[in-house]
Amino acid sequence: MAPEPADTAGRTTRRSALDSLRASPFLSQLRSNRLALFGIGIILGMVLVALYARFVYDFGALADSRLGGAVPSRAPPSWAGGTARTGAFGTDAAARDIFRRTLYGAWLALKFGTITVAASTALGVSLGIVAAYYGDATDNVIMRTMDVLLAFPSLLLALALVAIFGAGLWKAVIALTLVYTPRFARVVRGAALKVLEDEYIDATVALGATDPRVLVRHVLPNSLAPITVQSTLNFGLAIIDIAALSFLGFGAQAGTPSWGLMLARGVENGLFTGKWWMSFFPGLFLALTVLGFNLLGDGMRDALDPRMRDTVD
Amino acid sequence: MVSKRFVLKRLLLLVPVLFGVATFVFAILQLAPGDPARVIVGQRASADQVAQVRSELGLDDPILVQYGRFLVDAVQFDFGDSYQISKGTPVREVLADRLPVTIELALYGQAIGILLGVPLGVLSAVKQDTLTDHATRIGALTGLSVPIYWSGPLLILLFATYLGLFPTSGRIGSTTFLPDHWTLLGVELPLTGMVTVDTLLLGDLGAWFSAVHHLFLPAVTIGVYSMALISRMMRSSMLEVVRQDYMRTARAKGQGAKITVMKHGFRNALIPVVTVIGIQFGSLLGGAVLTETVFGIGGIGTMLVAAIGATDYPLVQGAVLTFALLFTLVNLGVDITYSYLDPRIQQ
Repeated sequence: MAPEPADTAGRTTRRSALDSLRASPFLSQLRSNRLALFGIGIILGMVLVALYARFVYDFGALADSRLGGAVPSRAPPSWAGGTARTGAFGTDAAARDIFRRTLYGAWLALKFGTITVAASTALGVSLGIVAAYYGDATDNVIMRTMDVLLAFPSLLLALALVAIFGAGLWKAVIALTLVYTPRFARVVRGAALKVLEDEYIDATVALGATDPRVLVRHVLPNSLAPITVQSTLNFGLAIIDIAALSFLGFGAQAGTPSWGLMLARGVENGLFTGKWWMSFFPGLFLALTVLGFNLLGDGMRDALDPRMRDTVD
Repeated sequence: MVSKRFVLKRLLLLVPVLFGVATFVFAILQLAPGDPARVIVGQRASADQVAQVRSELGLDDPILVQYGRFLVDAVQFDFGDSYQISKGTPVREVLADRLPVTIELALYGQAIGILLGVPLGVLSAVKQDTLTDHATRIGALTGLSVPIYWSGPLLILLFATYLGLFPTSGRIGSTTFLPDHWTLLGVELPLTGMVTVDTLLLGDLGAWFSAVHHLFLPAVTIGVYSMALISRMMRSSMLEVVRQDYMRTARAKGQGAKITVMKHGFRNALIPVVTVIGIQFGSLLGGAVLTETVFGIGGIGTMLVAAIGATDYPLVQGAVLTFALLFTLVNLGVDITYSYLDPRIQQ
C-alpha cells in the first residue's frame, strides 16, 4: 500500500481505500469480463432512458386515465397493425401510450430500487458491524432477530409487512428494506469478524482509537468488497420484488406507470384476448434491467473470488 | 450416518427461531391498522356491536394475555375463523384446503428445476469455456432475471391464447368434479387435495391428463427459475470438485475421464447443490404466490393476496406462519440430508 500522505484524516482513508482498489486485480478482472461490461452497458442505457423519461415526459399525463377518444384504447403497436397514433408499443386499456409509460417505468424502478438497496445496505451494514465488534449479547440479539426474519421466504415476509403498512410504493420500499437487511447484516458480520482478527485492529485499539473510529475507519473499508457485490446482486432482486408487489396490487397505485402495475393490467386486460403488447414491453424492460445488474454482480463476484480467477480469464 | 445428537441440536436451534416467527405473526394483527372487530361486523354496525365482538375475540384483554393465548393457539395451529374471504370458516380448514394446491405446484416446479438444472450444470462444467458453456450460463442468468409474472403471461399468450395447446388457467377441466374421498378395498379414504395425485387414486385417467395438462405451464413457469439457480450451482460445484486431488488420483489409476467425472465428480458435486435447493425453496414459495395469481390457481398464495386486500388478518396470520414453517422445515430437512451426504458437517 502507498504511504499515507500527510493529509487530513478523512481524506487519507479514502485515498488509501481507492489505492488498494486500484492495486488489487479486482478492476482489471472486471474489465476483462465481457459479460460484466455488457451488464454495465445495459444499466447505463437504462439510466439514460430513465433520466430522459423523467425530465421530458409529464407524469400527470402518463397517469391520466381520462384521455378521451382521440387515440384508440388497447391498440397494437404502430408497426404491428396499429396506426401512427398508437405509438411504438401500442396503447393500454385507458388509451395511454405504453412506450412512454414503459420508459418512465425505468425511472421509477431505478429510483425505488436504489433507495431500497441503499437503505437495506446501510441498515444491514450497521447491524452487522456492530454485532461483529461488540459480540456476546449484542451479537446474539441482533443476529437472532435476523435469523427470525430469514425464516420467512422473502416475498412472503414482504407481503406480511405490507399487510401491516398498507399498500403503496414507499411502503413497499420500507417492507423490502427490512426483508433484505438480514442478508447484508450476515455478509458484513462475517467479513467484519475476519477483519477484526487482524493484528492491526489490536494495534489501533492499543493506540487509543475509540469504537466508532475503529468501526468506521478500519472495519468498514476492509469489508467493502463483499458489501458491494451483495448490493449489486440485490439491486436486480429489489427491482423484481418492488414490481412483484405492484403486480399483486400492494405497490404502485392505480395510474402509476410502474412496470409491475402495467404487467398486472396487461395480464388482466390482454392475456386471453391476445393483446400481447400490454404485458410484453414493460416486462422486457424489467427483465433487461435485472439482467444488467445480475451480469455485473456476477462478474464482480467472480473477480473477487480468487478461486474463480483462473477460470474467468 | 446422521447422529441423533446433530438432529436434536438442529431441532433445539429451531425453537427460538419459531418463537420469533410466531411473535412476528402475532404482531401483524396488533400493528395492522384498523379494528379487527370493525372488519368483522362491517362499516354500518353500531359501536355496541363492535364492542361486543371485541370482547368476544378477547381484543380488550391486556396484550400479554392476548400474546400468551396466541402462542398456545398457534402451537395447535388455531387462528380462529376467517373474517372475510371464507367468513366463519376456521382458518385451519381453509389452509388445509389450499395448502396441497401450492405444494403440488411447488413440487412440480422443483422437479423440473432439478431434472433440467442438474444435467445442464454438469454439461456446462464438462464443456467449460466452450460455446455450450457460455450459452448455458447466459441462459441461466437470463432465467434468473426474468420475473415469473412476465414469463408466465408470455407462456400463456404463446401456448394457450395463440397456439391453443394448453388451457389458460385453472387446475382441471371445468366439467370434471372430484368426489371428496376415494375407496381402497371398500375403505373410504380422504383425498390429498393434489389433483394430479387424486385423479390417479380415483383411477380417472382422463381427469389425470386434464390435471397434468393444466399444471404444465405453471410448473414450467416456476421451474425455470429454480432450473437456472440449480444449473449455476451445479456448474461451479462441479468445477470445484474436478480440481480435487482424488480426481487426479482416479485418472492416474487409469480410469477413463467420463467414469471419473460421473463416479467421483458428479456425486461429490451434488452435495452443495442440496443446500441451494433448500435456500431457493423460499423463492419457490414466493414464485408460487405469483404463479398462482397469473394462472388463476386457488392455492394458499392467491388466498394470502386476497386476505391482505380484505384485511382478513386471521387468514394472513395463518398463511404467513404456514409459509415460514414450510420453509423452515424444508431447510431442516436439507441440513440433515447435507450432514448425511457430508458427515464432516456434524462436527
